[in-house]
Amino acid sequence: MTSSQAPQPTSPADPEVSTTPGSATPTTASPAPVKQTERPHPLTPFVRGWLVFVAIAIGWGREIVTSAGENQFEPGGLSWILPILGVVVLLAAVTGFISWYFTRFVIDDEELRIETGAIFKKSTKIPFERLQSVDIIQPLAARMFGLAELRLDVGNSTTKLRYLSRSRASRFRDYLLARAQGHQASIQDLDQQSVASVFTDLGVADQPLVQVSPQRLIVSFLLSTEWLIPTAISIIILVVTATFGVVPLALGALIPLLIGMLSLIWRRVIGMFNFTLAESSRGLRITRGLTNLTSQSVPINRVQGVKTSQPLLWRALGWYRVDIDILGYAHGDGESNESTASSVLLPVADPDEVELALRRVLPGFDLDRIELHPSPKRARWLRWFDFWTLRYGWDDRILITEQGWLTHARDVVPHAKTQSVHVEQGPLQRLLRLADVHVHTPRGPVNAVAHQLDERSARELALTQLDRARAARTAEREHRAVNAVRIDDHEGEAELLAAFGTRRDQLLGSGGESEVFALDHDRVFRLYRSRHEAPRRTAVQLRGLYESWRGTEIGIELPLIIDAGERNGRFYTVDRRFSGLNFSTWLQSADMTERRPALISFLDATEQLQRLPRPVPGFARLIGEGAPQQFGTLSELLASMLRGPLQNSRAQLEHDLPGIDEVWNTLHGDLAQRSVTPAVVHGDVCPPNAYISKGPQGPVVTGIGDFSPHTVNADPLLDVAGALIFLELEPYADAPADAAWLEAVAVERHGREIVRWIDVYRRYYGFYFSNAYAFDPTLYAWCLRQLSR
Amino acid sequence: MEELFAPPAYEWKRLSPKFRSMRILTSLTVTPVIFTIAALIVGVSSGRWWISGVIWAAAIVIVIIRVPFVIRSWRSWGYVERDDDLYITHGVMFRNLVAVPYGRMQLVEVESGPLERAFGLASVTLKTASPETGARIPGLTPEEATRLRDRLTELGEAHASGL
Repeated sequence: MTSSQAPQPTSPADPEVSTTPGSATPTTASPAPVKQTERPHPLTPFVRGWLVFVAIAIGWGREIVTSAGENQFEPGGLSWILPILGVVVLLAAVTGFISWYFTRFVIDDEELRIETGAIFKKSTKIPFERLQSVDIIQPLAARMFGLAELRLDVGNSTTKLRYLSRSRASRFRDYLLARAQGHQASIQDLDQQSVASVFTDLGVADQPLVQVSPQRLIVSFLLSTEWLIPTAISIIILVVTATFGVVPLALGALIPLLIGMLSLIWRRVIGMFNFTLAESSRGLRITRGLTNLTSQSVPINRVQGVKTSQPLLWRALGWYRVDIDILGYAHGDGESNESTASSVLLPVADPDEVELALRRVLPGFDLDRIELHPSPKRARWLRWFDFWTLRYGWDDRILITEQGWLTHARDVVPHAKTQSVHVEQGPLQRLLRLADVHVHTPRGPVNAVAHQLDERSARELALTQLDRARAARTAEREHRAVNAVRIDDHEGEAELLAAFGTRRDQLLGSGGESEVFALDHDRVFRLYRSRHEAPRRTAVQLRGLYESWRGTEIGIELPLIIDAGERNGRFYTVDRRFSGLNFSTWLQSADMTERRPALISFLDATEQLQRLPRPVPGFARLIGEGAPQQFGTLSELLASMLRGPLQNSRAQLEHDLPGIDEVWNTLHGDLAQRSVTPAVVHGDVCPPNAYISKGPQGPVVTGIGDFSPHTVNADPLLDVAGALIFLELEPYADAPADAAWLEAVAVERHGREIVRWIDVYRRYYGFYFSNAYAFDPTLYAWCLRQLSR
Repeated sequence: MEELFAPPAYEWKRLSPKFRSMRILTSLTVTPVIFTIAALIVGVSSGRWWISGVIWAAAIVIVIIRVPFVIRSWRSWGYVERDDDLYITHGVMFRNLVAVPYGRMQLVEVESGPLERAFGLASVTLKTASPETGARIPGLTPEEATRLRDRLTELGEAHASGL
């Protein structure tokens, strides 16, 4: 699939990889001798003075309220406090003014610098690429003046810049996030951008993914275990003391409980009010709060684990809460008061929303497919209260543990984030031959513990976990390296695209070897990546192949190369544009009633490919060095196809799948038994390479594109098998079910015996794409699954 | 049972016997001293010295029971440097096995308190980004502790993988 992967989700960038340090601004104007620094908004001292005033008023008010129970309230006795209060507020205002006066900052194309301090001057210069997140926080007072605080997270420290006008703050935020992600943005570009709304801080371009309605928030809060337990205790205390007529005695216990409950309301209801999870141009963004408005970016590359939990009473409503571990957000329970970044991804959400959010923070993971194992029955002697909820499971990329009855929690940790592993066994557990396995992750709400495993499974899980972690990290690291190469690819690209009348935002799709941009209704511009080995040869061979099919009508659109050339050191072709939509994109939003007929038409289209005239007789490679190259048998051809990828991936496969040699030998044995008349085989028929248009009976697949070095003269069943099994890689939720269903359809058409061959070709494709370990962990994981079936 | 906590195909390295001596000595002194103080207070204040006798007897019983436990606990410690990770095991009643990949280590600390110094001992602690890791090896000779520290730092650099 190297040539044709669906576009990678534009993951928010990784400061480690994003190259582009911040000095390449193309300023042609003469540089100003002294840089213009500016101060925060002049209302800042008032807001800060006001905050101090409010803090004192609240503290003082609390004093009066609590003392009112004991003594009589005397208004006269308090008059002396007013001048003191006045002096304190004045002092706060003066210090606020001084600190404002001496605070200056620069945010421009070259640097981000903040200078503070009247006597001890401090200048903080933050390299853009070290910025980990940029949040906007608006306490109520600041909000009333239309001001906002900009909070910059760098490593373990946080730098605050307060206060700026809201629109400036959000503009700076967008700019800084762009720079942090390694984009060459200029601050002037952002000045024209639309300003976010006052209540939710969403820009026009932001897409809300999940919005929590106030009703749901409040109901979920009232039904949460954390709220019900103190409420129940308070009621019991009141009832008991009332029956004995000693209610005042209860106050000692009730007041702390009440304070705890109020703070819970503050954090869970006021703080989470209007909770919105949105997709912004710079990644995920959370905005929340009734009085204090917080707007926080979610740095996905720093997510270390995810926890979904469900209090008992939410079960009937099907609600869940989702927390995430973010590196560096180590704040107690992570729920936070007004001022800190929180680790709550969704305070309450239904299963669809949870899935949507999980797919965003754990891109490419398929949690449903992981088989969960229960703890052995004998665990009930130790965990009699919740033994039936203890479960764990893993695949090659992720570990899941579940536990809890009163609040059911599910912890998900990608192996790549595993820090260390711990097996623990107490004396009772020893009697029952049970043990716990802890998988350590950085500080945060996620705490993955597989409770009460059978000793042997515990040992196996713990000892293999680190190997899996290592493999996952390697895959991730190499994936990053490839991303870095892609950034290099963009050098000088804008000019090249402009010369052909297109732009970066016209990108239709990208794969490992090329990117495709729209030119007009009939043509696309395909730009080969600079690392592609021999784009010219590939393009020339493909052009010949497509020309030879001109005039052959097989009922579907085929690709055509109109022009090819080289410019600025990059190879490109101009191709005919397929009508309709990309099938893979369409699948993600289609519902089942439309999808299934469309999948049938996809299978039909695939079967039509074998009617294409073969450019050479017999089994042959059609594209690539020395092509067309003929082979005597199918098995020789396929062995030659596998040689290249395996050269790279053999060591990795041997490491990840002991016994791979046997799989290899069986595959060759099987292929030698296959007798078939050769036909043209695309070699990579998958939804990203197909196109769908509206037909009279609904949407049907009308085109298959992207022939490539995978294209051969071989067994036509290779493409049928590919169409079925590559469907499993599609990112929509029902893809595995659809793949199984389509396989059943194909078996009905071609007979039971193809089941065996589909299985053989699964292993073939598993080997063929296994070099994906270096750049596409999802595809590589899929390959491993095919090979270990 | 032993096999649950055995390292795969490696031999555990054990702690220095001096650590055992130190632990025995502390249990031989701390318990009797505390009990003696209690016994003296009781005896002097009440004048019933037989109660003090009972307390002393209890101290002796506790020490007798405790010494074998200390020895077993010392014996339960073990660590092994594998190719990619470090394994540590300890615990008699509650058994533990911790595995820390070198690539995840952020910090290696060598500590030696006054008592440990008197016995010529030091401990090595490994820190990762996770506060739960808790990988500490006590009771090493200073040479072994510094060797381990240098070796671990070196391996950590070689395996460093970011987060």
